[in-house]
Amino acid sequence: MGIVIAVISGKGGVGKTTATANLGLGIALNGKKCVMVDFDIGQRNLDMILGLENRVVYDMVQVMDGEASVKQALIKSKVSENLFFLAASQTKDKSVLDSKKVQKLVTELKEDFDFVILDAPAGIESGYEHTIEFADAAIIIVNPEVSSIRDADRAIGILDSKSFKVKNGEEVAKYLIINRIVADMVQSGEMLKSEDILEILDIKLLGKVPEDKGVIDASNQGKPVILDKKSIAGQAYARISARLCGQKVDMKDIEIDDANLFKKIVGIFK
Amino acid sequence: MQSKQYSVKVYETTIKDEAKFIAFFDANYTLFKDHLIVINGELSSTVESYLKTKKLIYMNNVNLPKGRTRKALEEELRLERVETDVSAQIAEDKLEKLSVQLKNNLTVLDDMIRSGRELNIEGDLLLLNRVNSGATINAKGNVIITNVVEGSIRCTGNFMMLTTSPKANIVFHGVEVENTLLKNRLNRVELKNNEIIITPVLKKEINWA
Repeated sequence: MGIVIAVISGKGGVGKTTATANLGLGIALNGKKCVMVDFDIGQRNLDMILGLENRVVYDMVQVMDGEASVKQALIKSKVSENLFFLAASQTKDKSVLDSKKVQKLVTELKEDFDFVILDAPAGIESGYEHTIEFADAAIIIVNPEVSSIRDADRAIGILDSKSFKVKNGEEVAKYLIINRIVADMVQSGEMLKSEDILEILDIKLLGKVPEDKGVIDASNQGKPVILDKKSIAGQAYARISARLCGQKVDMKDIEIDDANLFKKIVGIFK
Repeated sequence: MQSKQYSVKVYETTIKDEAKFIAFFDANYTLFKDHLIVINGELSSTVESYLKTKKLIYMNNVNLPKGRTRKALEEELRLERVETDVSAQIAEDKLEKLSVQLKNNLTVLDDMIRSGRELNIEGDLLLLNRVNSGATINAKGNVIITNVVEGSIRCTGNFMMLTTSPKANIVFHGVEVENTLLKNRLNRVELKNNEIIITPVLKKEINWA
């Protein structure tokens, strides 16, 4: 029996899909069986970021409607044999989702995989509600800026009231990933500090991901940045994935830029 | 003191026609001889002398303590019982209302009020957690919030106690409170003579008990 994790953000464009792809791959590389499900029906992106767009035959809506079996629709990753992917429908819209169908699909996937990662759509509409409804845990992605945090706050509020687990008196575990941190801007006070974000949202910190130009290129090529061992964002995702798999990895303080520190030290000797 | 208690048979009447009265008494003398005769109203000398000659014991214009019929007694008891029941019910209702009022009057919350949440409080509110940006609190009573407020507060109570909250939107009795005035650790906002007065709450003042 696996665990179902919804990746949510509230606001769009903060890096949900990128995080899903990288964490899924990271978990698979740690030897756990993982499946990623794209719940962003009508605007599927995860297949592109994973480089699997030409392998999609059946989508998750067809599985839910019984037109295809889960086995037929699952797409195996090129990189890891532990990683599978279930695409969203590009032609339908979010209204096709239905609580019972979602529950059936999620329970079926839970039995075969250690991790079921659901990539939520942006916003807090029905598509989002269906994504979080049967999740055991949620990973909230925010950028260090006020609008992203307020939207995440709202999304957490909905998670706390509409989730199936909460309705049954249990608690949904919530973890925070702060994405696209620019160390210089945090130091100069232009960007929110992670302590401030944690105080506002009041959930556990899972990891911090620095801004990295390599992420866009990696997405365009369909090779998640976690595969690039030199990339700082890739390293951050690797640490977070290891944490999700139960390893103890110390939190790296990426808000202090190494290069900046070096400059300062040089400055002292000048 | 020694005393004995008797029940006495009383014949009570008012005389309208003396001749008829005397004739009636003559006819029923055996019935009346053991009775106490009570005559209400005027007692003429002829009737008085007649009663004396007949050796009947009589009284004029007295209000005797009367017993009540069984039916009347039962009815009386029933009414009494209903009355006590009603008064007990009223007392209970009052108590219940009071306890409900007390229960509703103060809401103590330790929830984080997240964006999008709207709290409508009828009475007083003691909130021990944050109010995040995008959340709204409407309170008809007093408000005490011991953590940072970044959302909106609408309060129509007697006072508010708030921490330094530079991002909050606070409206007290329809007037927006300037955030920069909330510069102390805990500030009391109150209405005095139609003027909003903000004073710092000193440490020694706080007495939660």
